[in-house]
This record gives sequence, structure tokens and C-alpha cells, in this order.
Amino acid sequence: MDTLALDTESARWLRDLQGEGVARDDAIARLHAMLVRVARGEAARRRATLPARAADEVDDLCVQATNDALMAILSKLDTYRGAARFTTWACKFVILEASARLRRHTWRERKVELDDTIWDRLSDQAPPVLKRLEDDQLIAALHRAVDAHLTERQRLIFQSVTMDDVPIDVLAERLGSTRGAIYKTLHDARAKLRRALTDAGYAEQRND
Amino acid sequence: MTDHRLDQILGTTGRDPGCDAGLDFIDEYCDIVARGDPVPRRFADFLTHLGNCRACREDTESLLAVVREQEDRTAR
Repeated sequence: MDTLALDTESARWLRDLQGEGVARDDAIARLHAMLVRVARGEAARRRATLPARAADEVDDLCVQATNDALMAILSKLDTYRGAARFTTWACKFVILEASARLRRHTWRERKVELDDTIWDRLSDQAPPVLKRLEDDQLIAALHRAVDAHLTERQRLIFQSVTMDDVPIDVLAERLGSTRGAIYKTLHDARAKLRRALTDAGYAEQRND
Repeated sequence: MTDHRLDQILGTTGRDPGCDAGLDFIDEYCDIVARGDPVPRRFADFLTHLGNCRACREDTESLLAVVREQEDRTAR
């Protein structure tokens, strides 16, 4: 893989982390300090969605995310090619680790299950995404397409993500899968539904 | 093409590389946006994915906020 010309700071990070001795130890300590600050910042940004109690647990999650991110960064230094600044590349790892843990923490006491009553709720209790359609015929056509074309696993993932706002990280954990695999299932389900709805005559409406 | 009102549920029809491929672009994209540079066309598929995937969209917003905070700290 080609390495692009690095800016001075990125080159210094890479040189120190790939070196030996005190310089490397110092660079790892500085990197760890930066990552834990970013993880705690992510928790602060998500404070409104996190349980009010158990601040210590949230901080533990931040430290775990930092440690896992640091290990990943050190093991993947050879893959860093300079497309982004080193600090941005490194912070990506801790954001992904921290956000996944925090989403799972938010959902840890909530069930994830296929809820077919979602289609029959009165309008004031319907999922917002269905309320916004404002079209009973379109909702009914979508419901028919879901029943006719999706497997049970696709229905669970599709309805959980699009109607119950279940994060895909949470689904990945509960279903013993990965974020990428869950998204692929969602993507395939959406494609099936799009074809079915187009066939059913719900073509794009143009006003021009 | 389906009714646009369904886009939030069904996603858009552009090429979507998925989470794993999309995550490869997040850092480069955030640096470009933070610098205020125009986003190259090669990010089109990644942007389609961000439109379709809430988790990746949130993570990108978080990383962009971090990059901007770091730039502010450096500028001080």
C-alpha cells in the first residue's frame, strides 16, 4: 500500500511509535492520554442517552475502549498510509470502540425482539418513521412487502433498526454477529422491499 | 425508483459500500471537511452510506467534532 507524504506531526508519531525504548514508551503514554480524553468526550456527548446512574461504569467503558483502541492502533501501524493525519486516524479507532460500547450500554436493559404490533398501533403511538409517511395505503403496502418478502431475521433487523431505532451495534451483539454483517442484512432487506414497492406501483412521485 | 417518502426507511438507491468499507474513509473525510476543502467525488459511495447508516453517521460526526476540537486547541 502506498504511503503518502506525511505532515511533520504525523511522521513524528509514526517514528516514535515504531521506535524503541523511552521515546516509544513516551509516545504510547501520550497516545493513551489523547485516546482516553476522546473516549470521555464521546461519553459526554452521549450523556443525554446514557443512564443517569453508574457514571463509574461509563468511565470504565471509556477506559476499556481506549485500551482496545490502543492495541488495535499499535497492531495496525503498518497499515497507516497518511491519507488522514495520524491523530485523526488514531482517534477513529477509539471513537468506534467507545460509541459501540456506549450504545450497547444504553440498550443493556432493553429487549430487542420482533414486534408485529408495530404496524397496528394507533397513530399517536406509531413509530415516528411511519407517522411521517402520512399515508395509510403506503404503510399497508410496506407491511405487506415486509410480510411477503423478508425472512424472519431480515424482518427483525429491518424493523428494529428503522422503526425502533435499535443501533446496529446492539443488534450485532444480541445476534452474535458483526456491525458489517447486520448492515448487509438490512441493506438486502431494503433492496427487496424497494423492488416490491416499485412493482406494487409506488413509483417516485414527481411534481415537475 | 420508489416514493421519496420511503427513503428514510428503505435508504437511497446510490451505491452503498457498507459499514466496513465505509469506515476506511471516515478519518480522511473528517480531515477534508475540517479543513474546509471540497469533498472529492470518490467519496460519493461513502456519503451514500452515511445517509443510510445512522451508526456510521454518528461516528463520523463524533470524529469530526474531535478533529475540530484538536484544531481549536492547536490554534490557541
